[in-house]
Amino acid sequence: MDLILKETRCTATMNKKRIIFYNSILLIVLVIAFVTALIVGRYHISLNTFFKILFGGANRFPVESSIIVNLRLPRTLIALFVGSALSLAGLVYQETFQNKLVSPDFLGVSGGASVGAALAIILGFSSMWLSGVAFIFGIGAMFLTITIAKIMRDHSPTILILSGIIVSSFMSATLSLLKYLAETESQLATITYWLMGSFEYSTMTDVYILAPIVVISSTILFSIRWRINIVAQGPNEAQTQGLNYKLYRYIIIILATLITASSVAFAGVIGWIGLIVPHIVRLFVGKNTKHTIPLVLSFGAIFMIVTDIFSRTFTGAEIPLTAITGFLGAPIFVLILLRKRRIIND
Amino acid sequence: MIEYKTDKISYSYTKEDVIKNITLDFKPNTINVLIGLNGSGKTTLIKLLAGIFKPNNGQVQINGKDLCTYSYHERSKFISYVSQELNVGDDYLVEEYLSFGLMNTLKFYQSPTHKSITKVQNAASKFKIYDFLNKRMNELSGGEKQIVSICRAYIQDTEIMILDEPTSALDFKNQNLILNILKEVASVDKIIILSTHNPNHALYLDSNALLIDKGEIIKSGPASVVVKKEILNSVYGNNLKYSKELKYNEITIG
Repeated sequence: MDLILKETRCTATMNKKRIIFYNSILLIVLVIAFVTALIVGRYHISLNTFFKILFGGANRFPVESSIIVNLRLPRTLIALFVGSALSLAGLVYQETFQNKLVSPDFLGVSGGASVGAALAIILGFSSMWLSGVAFIFGIGAMFLTITIAKIMRDHSPTILILSGIIVSSFMSATLSLLKYLAETESQLATITYWLMGSFEYSTMTDVYILAPIVVISSTILFSIRWRINIVAQGPNEAQTQGLNYKLYRYIIIILATLITASSVAFAGVIGWIGLIVPHIVRLFVGKNTKHTIPLVLSFGAIFMIVTDIFSRTFTGAEIPLTAITGFLGAPIFVLILLRKRRIIND
Repeated sequence: MIEYKTDKISYSYTKEDVIKNITLDFKPNTINVLIGLNGSGKTTLIKLLAGIFKPNNGQVQINGKDLCTYSYHERSKFISYVSQELNVGDDYLVEEYLSFGLMNTLKFYQSPTHKSITKVQNAASKFKIYDFLNKRMNELSGGEKQIVSICRAYIQDTEIMILDEPTSALDFKNQNLILNILKEVASVDKIIILSTHNPNHALYLDSNALLIDKGEIIKSGPASVVVKKEILNSVYGNNLKYSKELKYNEITIG
């Protein structure tokens, strides 16, 4: 028996090594993607020039350094935070609601934020106000979803998901009405473009607002990452194992909604990422949130930065982010399903 | 030593009480076996005892205090619970799932250490599932999952262990394994409460048998007294056939 225990321990150590390996690889790739995002684009900057600017030679390359600092750095940082935030929100929602098809906007957050943004555009608000209104409507939609679920007096995940569908549909109807009321030439185009997600107008001010929200919320979720496993067992199991299920569920919902709503407020609606990144990560390390959460944060950031590079590099006008995440996401999701059903192997 | 009792508890899902005025006193070092028909209130009573449901009337008490006034963390130090649910553990590794039993020993930001995993591995060898530790839960059969669930509750290491039909999916060999482990656990001043559809288990465990019918305990006492043909007939119906008169450790065919 000792031998068997020893073997098991060896496997556990191997698992640990494998997880450290994945984390290291993703961090390296993240750094590479980040640097690539700063130098690649319609105006190409060589790696050499980039390093010269980085190490104090900004004065010699005023155009290049201005492009990097004023245009590419803010949008890449926003992409990093939005990618991590949406992927993390997707994962924790999927675990908490024991439903792998849940994405970060299922509580109606994106729907609410879209209505807020459309309203702000019609009323002619500035972009900062637009983000604010979108954020408030996003959070408001989440509260509406929770209130409807509460009225039903049922704490099951299904009721919350159904309430989310109700609120999302309502928001979608409101959005249609707002689009109908919008001026066709300018406002409707702006609304449509915003709804497909973009980092085109990201500024460092956006970063200063978004970063603390995402960093603080993610740090809290990161610190309770092992316990999210227990939440994923459902109320009866969690409570008899000593977890205050309701409290943890609310902490998770509020933090995940906060980072989703703020991401949507600054980048518009970006589909797919919150759904597929957690699935891809689970394929490699399994379901344990102790391991998946760090990987989802870095992989989500990489996925979003790469999407942003695609969106602005190959065409004259920027391709909306959701169009790219959709094109990448749909086939990846099919591959994941095939792999899960063991139709294809590693 | 722990005091664990119920004081006139009642519970209803809608209007009609499914648990009616039940008063029980569980002693350490005993195994208490709930037997009764489908829908007689076994699972509801188990959930009330485990603190999952709150009684409409009366109290479940631990050391003289209402169970509901304890925090979930405190409760989990007293009571471990195994549900009837066989679809547990999703895609977790068996070792990961078992380690959830250690939750109440950890702070909110902690996860099981290598040292505590040893406890998991020792428990797994006791339950003869050490070969499964690196398997995924959804690769296991219903019976195997049931053993893992019981092992997880065992790892929680509590004074009271409550199990809802813990042997429902097990073959004879594993039924024997689990019942023997439960006997051993109870012998160190612990309280075991379980429900079963096999009255023989009450006999085999040398237990305190509780016969429940329509939400009431109609007979309780040593299994050798309660699990008798004439008493069981009053609940299960007169058309039951027994291979022999019930004796200790016998298999019956209904």
